[in-house]
Amino acid sequence: MVDSGTQVHKSMPRSGLETLLSVLSQEGYRLVGPTISEGAIVFDDIATTKDLPIGWTDRQSPGRYRLEKSGDDRAFGFVVGPHSWKQFLFPAKETLHQATYDESAGMWRQSDDHTVATAFIGVRACDLAGIGIQDRVFIGGKYVDQGYHNRRHSHFIVAVNCLQAGDLCFCDSMGTGPEVKSGFDICLTELDSTFLVQAGSERGDSIVAQLPLAAASQDEHKALLTGLAQCRQSMGRQLDTENIEGLLFGNLEHPQWEDVSERCLACGNCTMVCPTCFCYSVDEVADLGDDPPQRERSWDSCFSQQHSKINGATFQPAIKDRYRQWLTHKLASWQSQFGTSGCVGCGRCIAWCPVGIDLTEEVAAIRVGAEEPVSMPACETVTIAPATEQDAGESTTPIFATTEATVAGVVTEAPKVATLALTMPVGYDYQPGQFNMLSLPGIGEVPISVSGDSDGAFEHTIHSVGNVSEALNGLEPGSTLGVRGPYGSSWPMALARSRPVTVIAGGLGLAPLRGVIRRLLEQAESGSRNGDTEWLRLIYGARHPEALLFTRELEQWRKNPAFRVAVTVDQSTSGWTGNVGTVITFLSRKRIPVESLYLVCGPEVMMLAVVRVLLDAQVPPEHIYLSMERNMKCAAGHCGRCQYGPYFICKDGPVLGYDKLSFLFGKRGF
Amino acid sequence: MTATANPERPRLGVFKLTSCDGCQLTLLDCEDELLLLAATIDIVHFPEGVSPARSEGPFDLAIIEGSVSTAEQLQEVKQIRSQSRVLVTIGACATSGGIQALRNFVSGEEDGFDEFRKAVYARPEYVDSLATSTPVSQHVAVDFELRGCPIDKRQLLELITAYLRGRTPAIKNESVCFECKRRGTVCVVVTDNTPCLGPVTHAGCGAICPAFRRGCYGCFGPRESAATESLATQMKNIGRSEQEILRSFRLFTAASPEFEKESKRHE
Ligand SMILES: Cc1cc2nc3c(=O)[nH]c(=O)nc-3n(C[C@H](O)[C@H](O)[C@H](O)COP(=O)(O)OP(=O)(O)OC[C@H]3O[C@@H](n4cnc5c(N)ncnc54)[C@H](O)[C@@H]3O)c2cc1C
Ligand code: SF4
Ligand code: SF4
Ligand code: SF4
Ligand code: SF4
Ligand code: FES
Repeated sequence: MVDSGTQVHKSMPRSGLETLLSVLSQEGYRLVGPTISEGAIVFDDIATTKDLPIGWTDRQSPGRYRLEKSGDDRAFGFVVGPHSWKQFLFPAKETLHQATYDESAGMWRQSDDHTVATAFIGVRACDLAGIGIQDRVFIGGKYVDQGYHNRRHSHFIVAVNCLQAGDLCFCDSMGTGPEVKSGFDICLTELDSTFLVQAGSERGDSIVAQLPLAAASQDEHKALLTGLAQCRQSMGRQLDTENIEGLLFGNLEHPQWEDVSERCLACGNCTMVCPTCFCYSVDEVADLGDDPPQRERSWDSCFSQQHSKINGATFQPAIKDRYRQWLTHKLASWQSQFGTSGCVGCGRCIAWCPVGIDLTEEVAAIRVGAEEPVSMPACETVTIAPATEQDAGESTTPIFATTEATVAGVVTEAPKVATLALTMPVGYDYQPGQFNMLSLPGIGEVPISVSGDSDGAFEHTIHSVGNVSEALNGLEPGSTLGVRGPYGSSWPMALARSRPVTVIAGGLGLAPLRGVIRRLLEQAESGSRNGDTEWLRLIYGARHPEALLFTRELEQWRKNPAFRVAVTVDQSTSGWTGNVGTVITFLSRKRIPVESLYLVCGPEVMMLAVVRVLLDAQVPPEHIYLSMERNMKCAAGHCGRCQYGPYFICKDGPVLGYDKLSFLFGKRGF
Repeated sequence: MTATANPERPRLGVFKLTSCDGCQLTLLDCEDELLLLAATIDIVHFPEGVSPARSEGPFDLAIIEGSVSTAEQLQEVKQIRSQSRVLVTIGACATSGGIQALRNFVSGEEDGFDEFRKAVYARPEYVDSLATSTPVSQHVAVDFELRGCPIDKRQLLELITAYLRGRTPAIKNESVCFECKRRGTVCVVVTDNTPCLGPVTHAGCGAICPAFRRGCYGCFGPRESAATESLATQMKNIGRSEQEILRSFRLFTAASPEFEKESKRHE
């Protein structure tokens, strides 16, 4: 920038760096900065400039990193190493805030805030952009990660302009560097014999005031500008980002994915070193003794199997699926989710990939012989939560804030399926289609749809498939459990009001749809559907008659002349007089009204087949709604587990219009 | 499975088949922690060689260490299975045949070991006569396999607590690289060209070796999706000989299908 303010930059002798460190120390900051360890420049505690890698530089190529003497005495004469600042803002392992179990109160409580105000020494422009991107994830939406928030706002940032690009840098392509423009407290530029110093915040001003500064000379300004220009010229890598979102999602079957999957180890190193990757797992851990269980969060990655695993399915089983998830997320779907690319062009993932896979080369290869790009959904606005809770007001909620619910009643619906009616905290309400996170301390937490409400209790119909669901189904009236919610989108009630509605459910899929049926019937009773006949239809399939849910309610529904109920079973048993066959066979034999709204929930293969039949019958995609299922840990758009292309099933879903899903639905590996 | 046990006082059975002493030591090392539980659970421990005078089940949790190497042991694991609600196996021996499975490779080289081994794996009744070493899961259903040579103490305790509390153990099946990066270790492959099995190895050890600037030896055996072929190419590119690559994959868990296949590619 030409106007990199002659006024703002001051000149500081080299010795001033030591003064800066000691001033920050005296102000009570822990100092973390670059230092040499294990053959690389890493970020660790530092005390004086002696700890900095003075006179060292890094040489990098795909899968290779070496330190070399630089031949000068610069303190910041290198680019980026294996560490990024994310490990201090979003630690690799952490006992969760809001998630220490309070035995006496019987619930999860916010654990103490252990934030130690830290000064980051030497943050590059790309890394500042990386921090900005994680802000959007962890404190940019409705839910706020309290630990990240506290750390983020108490930490002090000393940034450094890059005048020399690394062999794997491409910040210029990503528009994130090499010049530090905002988001810092102090910015340094290391010149031959001096530093240029610039304050970027009030905190920064007060520190800068204590440094030995003089006015910067014309030559120093010129050195900054030519240095930045040279740096842009010498980028080791380039990435053509033009229409990259549409390109990647339009080429999901490009042969290059197969090619890279033969090299990729799915080791996860690229995601761990990436300053923006945010995926995490939350696990219940407990000692053998009487210590209360704890919840631990740790970095996860789309290269792990757990990331995409739910009971009975793994959505990204192959290495190809996982690499494609990484690249399409980084460079494409991130844009729809957060309004920015997920890549800042730091080159870490290239250097620290043991087999040297270079994403810039992979993208270039995909551009060769590429098909037409597709259009991607636009991003909603992201606002970063301010420093204090007062400022944040009521627009944000701490993530993982759990309260207590009591089991009011239990109804066995079918073998291994029960409905728990829960008395919820005061003021709780939900919309049909939404879900809650139900938890039992020391056992786990799972997403469960609200299947209806009656007499002030909220129902959850649960199939015992694993440890948590089994433990939930074992609860008796009067017992308590943890609950947070409601989360996610709901069935389109407004659309449903004005047209006939067809509900198609497979197996347990009826649970999230029961609420919507009840609401529609209530509305009709109050006269909204006067004169309409058979405006509501249900097509419900189960494996066999014993597996049918809500049988008594089904009988009541049948008695309603406006409601046409069809039940079919895959395998009949003696005494069954109803339909036999799958929902699909049933559906294909029936007339499919084009004007109806279709609400569909069931196993994904079933939904896929239903959608095909409906589309064949010319039903418009925007009148088909599906409820999706993915692995979930946070339910707030933070843990990354539930991603489905550009969507987080926990917050953009679970209910999504088929018009939004069509470009991806049915493609394997997402 | 079939057996039911007294929920008031869960019974924990610990069994030892053929193994080295590593896991045994880890188990002994856990005794302090387990004793803490003595008031609430019954711990029944069966060292190797005590059979057939075994105490009867049922067990809420049975832990088996060691591989199946005799016909007697084969009977024994079947019996344990039928008496246990949850059955877990621990250590490389119990989960992959262990380092003693190495002798299968060596002995085979002279008299057509391929057929020999096929026969063994397909027909466990030959196990005794052929004196090979096979994982417990080859003979009976196993609820959880805890990897490691030796196993990691924290993981063992987590496994026991989780099953006693009815929780899924917080034990991940990711690669060693995940743990290596979480602890902030600088990758030995990228900085030093040191060969490392981390990318294809099941996590659990906490990535100890790279923290001491050595490559991972693969003690925990292959992870799911172990891309051994690509890793072997990488080893070759950094100048390792075929013999060295073969040896890297034919170590503690040599008989695990993924590593066995890879080592054979370099014979
Ligand atoms: C939006 C949504 C709504 C749901 N509604 C219902 C419902 O109304 N009734 C019902 O019975 N089930 C529902 N499920 C599925 C239910 O969450 C899983 O069956 C449950 O998580 C299994 O946990 P488990 O510990 O018993 O089983 P395990 O297989 O041991 O699961 C281990 C862990 O994996 C994760 N996991 C496993 N399966 C799923 C899954 N299907 N979805 C998300 N995470 C999973 C969880 O973290 C779980 O703790 C819903 C899932 C989603 C995503
Ligand atoms: S994707 Fe690679 S280059 Fe881009 S920010 Fe992440 S680590 Fe850096
Ligand atoms: S899903 Fe996205 S954020 Fe998560 S690890 Fe993969 S690339 Fe990174
Ligand atoms: S791209 Fe490289 S670093 Fe990333 S998972 Fe694959 S092999 Fe590992
Ligand atoms: S040192 Fe080994 S385990 Fe660690 S990241 Fe590198 S390859 Fe993976
Ligand atoms: S992002 Fe965590 S569950 Fe959706």
